Amino acid sequence: MKTETDIKSQLREWISSASKKGGKVAISDDTPIIEQRIITSLQVMDLILYIEQLTDGSVDVESLKPGAFRDVNTIYKNFFEASNDN
Amino acid sequence: MTIEQSTQLADLDGLIWQDNGQCVLTGKALELYLRLDALFTQWAASCAAEAWKLPTFISARELARLDYFHSFPHLVTMPVTLACGDANLKLFTEGQPITQDGVLQLTELSPVKDVLTPATCYHFYIAHQGKSLAAPKYLTACGNCFRRETHYLPLQRQWNFNMREIVCIGSSDEVTRFLDSWKVRLQQFFADANLDVLFENATDPFFNPSRNPKYLMQKLDPVKNEMVFRNHLAIGSINFHRSYFGEAFAIMRDGEDACSGCVAFGMERWMYALLVTFGLSIPEFPKLKDEAQI
Repeated sequence: MKTETDIKSQLREWISSASKKGGKVAISDDTPIIEQRIITSLQVMDLILYIEQLTDGSVDVESLKPGAFRDVNTIYKNFFEASNDN
Repeated sequence: MTIEQSTQLADLDGLIWQDNGQCVLTGKALELYLRLDALFTQWAASCAAEAWKLPTFISARELARLDYFHSFPHLVTMPVTLACGDANLKLFTEGQPITQDGVLQLTELSPVKDVLTPATCYHFYIAHQGKSLAAPKYLTACGNCFRRETHYLPLQRQWNFNMREIVCIGSSDEVTRFLDSWKVRLQQFFADANLDVLFENATDPFFNPSRNPKYLMQKLDPVKNEMVFRNHLAIGSINFHRSYFGEAFAIMRDGEDACSGCVAFGMERWMYALLVTFGLSIPEFPKLKDEAQI
């Protein structure tokens, strides 16, 4: 099973490669990726697909709350933490 | 006496409602409209906003850069003209130009390259495209706007309405400061004026929202804060576009894509809120807090 460190690293790499700003901005686990428009609306759907691929589950788009994709830490907490605790 | 029902609004002196979703204003109704716009113009002047007078049409090509036609096809209104050429015009005039139901029987149309303005501030971003700003820009205009709806109600939901906007284009900090200051001042204004208006997060009315990434983005990152009258009618909004327009139209500030934000006032809806609250005896508007410091 992947560790928290592995998953966060994969998320950072995906965000960096998907973003138009990828090479120009250092992405840490608490970088606000939407606020700084590192991820735009065009990439957010792909990010959801990537999260679904990593979790082998589905994301209920309608139930997403403001801030759910704020940064890598928040994404991990919202979509991975519960399954990794099991 | 307050005016509670839209049917009574139709009896208001100077408000002539048309079933196609627009109204004529004269008399008391026009006085109120002008009084309100004078108020908003005074507010805009207090932050040294440059006044613009905008045209009614907007280029479809420019709006397409915002993916407008995928996001809001249900709202768009297009101006159409008959294709030039005597044969086509003759065909139109010699046929039955209009049915008994009032439907025009159009012959060949010219290519449609424009739409009727759906929101005032788009004109500002288009006009500033390719520019690098040495300082934040503050702009204001009252636009003649059009949004197709399924039904219409006088002053509350119109096909053709007027929207006064005060806009800032600048860095993220400059726009955030601008919007935050307006929110504080408007909250104070609503309290002082005894108007039942609260700010609420909202999303734009996207077509097929669950499939639109922009709708999803607005849910994740609320950037639209509406002024909601009595829990049911948005009479205005404060919007932070981040760098969306700056990127789309290559507007730069401090070497980065410019950010933008707007404070929008729906003129007819403000009239409705005031009439419902005060009837025709609308008191003097309270002064805006720290007006000179915006």
